[in-house]
Amino acid sequence: MVDLEPRRTDATEEAVADVTVRAREFEAEVVAVESVMLDSTLITVRAPNGLASQVRAGQFVDVLCRVDGSYDPLLRRPYSVYRADPSAETLTLLVRPYGRGSQWLAAQGVGTTLDVLGPLGNGFSVAPRSRNLLMLAGGVGAAPLVLLSDHALADGRNVTYLMGAATAEALLPAGQLPSDVEYVVATDDGSRGHRGFVTDLLPEYLRWADQVFACGPGPMFRSLRDVSRAHRVGGKPRVQVSVERGMACGLGACLGCVVETRQGLQTSCVQGPVYDMDDLVW
Amino acid sequence: MADLSVDLAPNNPRELRLANPVIAASGCFGYGLEYAGVIDVQRLGAFVSKGITPQPRAGNAMPRITETPAGMLNAIGLQNPGLRGFVRKYPKLWETWRVPAIVNISAESVSEFAAMARVLDEQPGVAGIEVNVSCPNVAAGGFCFGWDAGMSADVTRAVRAATTLPVIVKLSPGATDIAEIALAVEEAGADAVSLINTLVGMAIDTRLRRPVLANGTGGLSGPAVKPVAVRMVYQVASVVRVPVIGLGGIVSLDDALEFFMAGASAIQVGTAIFAQPSRVVRLIDELDAWLESEGCASLAEVVGAALPTRPAGPGTATAAEPPSEFDFAAALATR
Repeated sequence: MVDLEPRRTDATEEAVADVTVRAREFEAEVVAVESVMLDSTLITVRAPNGLASQVRAGQFVDVLCRVDGSYDPLLRRPYSVYRADPSAETLTLLVRPYGRGSQWLAAQGVGTTLDVLGPLGNGFSVAPRSRNLLMLAGGVGAAPLVLLSDHALADGRNVTYLMGAATAEALLPAGQLPSDVEYVVATDDGSRGHRGFVTDLLPEYLRWADQVFACGPGPMFRSLRDVSRAHRVGGKPRVQVSVERGMACGLGACLGCVVETRQGLQTSCVQGPVYDMDDLVW
Repeated sequence: MADLSVDLAPNNPRELRLANPVIAASGCFGYGLEYAGVIDVQRLGAFVSKGITPQPRAGNAMPRITETPAGMLNAIGLQNPGLRGFVRKYPKLWETWRVPAIVNISAESVSEFAAMARVLDEQPGVAGIEVNVSCPNVAAGGFCFGWDAGMSADVTRAVRAATTLPVIVKLSPGATDIAEIALAVEEAGADAVSLINTLVGMAIDTRLRRPVLANGTGGLSGPAVKPVAVRMVYQVASVVRVPVIGLGGIVSLDDALEFFMAGASAIQVGTAIFAQPSRVVRLIDELDAWLESEGCASLAEVVGAALPTRPAGPGTATAAEPPSEFDFAAALATR
């Protein structure tokens, strides 16, 4: 097992605090595979000691999607952690097979060993006083919001989870969410819930929500921004979004995944992927 | 344990002595800190910082990277805090590190290169300078320094005069004759040469009908470029006396051995670190074990093993002499 514990000289400690990612590269055995959301797969892997309890919602892991000795596809693929089970020491990832890496990963069976790097990224931050959390999910963007819901409920908060998809079959099954979550859906074809965009549902929840957390495709974000502009009062509630960028290293070294923010260019792998929506320069 | 140590600046009193020949390549390792929480950075032979420039640079627009078959294209655009921002942050920290830190520098004029070298010369945590000549020379209408022997030599000479630090010149594979450039920078005072930098490439987004990268072109790296890099290292090592540092697509032990046998005294690992950070450290152990299994007391016994002949000189002091060809004329004369 390639389990490289962080090792630093003492003098490095201070400088390390702001730039250095404390992640592990580890071999993770696939322990469960489950089809979900029409074409996607939930892959559960065994995680090294303590990682499942340490991971924050919104963080991701980078998975090498090829067999040892093959160089293609070359780079790791980032996956937000969908669920983390500290007692079983497992992490679950939501994989939609839309590219070469994800197709390879979705095809792996129980017993396969994956090379995983993580946890990476900043994760969502929930204010201590926030009671009511509103999730806004589109497609595989559902993943980090499931873990956030788990954690929020454990902390005694209220969660409403809005999800949109093309059809009912492509929605996250209600059984995947804790029963205390209010789950409200929208579909393009009206086969379940509201017919139309999931962001159409937003206005009626914005007054209730102390914070909003969103992850989904580009069009959903654009719609979220427009709805927020029209319906938020005084910039409240705050909206955090998890953005997706192609990335190489996941550690802030290659600068291939930068995002323009009001604080300047930031690496979406270390300083992101979660940003306050109002900080992003769209 | 075989002797993995190597001096990459044997002609320089300040030396560039590495405990092992495995170096993290510029652009793939940030400033060392980025990887300090993931791998044992101190175990590396050395690392080369991301390229810095005289002034801060914001870099190119997105997208900056795209994956290609067994490789990747990047056009980051030298995003960096500039020389002053760099000096404020990193040398003091590196001074406390065991691993030698080499600073990669880029500039658009000979005088800027020299000015940077002068500043770096006084920095305590800096073990050497790697000069990136794969950037445009503004005075020459944007023509790349590294594609012209005279311009490459001018930069090298200016940097050499500005610092006593070991100077490595990183050669561009875009040059018509890379061996000619290597000889020119050696003559101009380079302590070592490293090669290859990325190859200029492009990918087209067929749906959008335009280049994938915002910059249009990007530097190709990864396993896809390895055979080109091995050939160029072989070519350069055949003619220069200074140490050659080989890079370009190295992932496995066998990749590394190819470069050593082609004449490289040390190697750099770049893109492979993105894919697998642990790889660069494991490579050191694998190399050590391989030398042991081959009965080699030192790496030097393997360096240049595939070259037909080796140039003699101070630069080859750490390398073993290859078996010389049987001298028929001399044998007949003494009969």
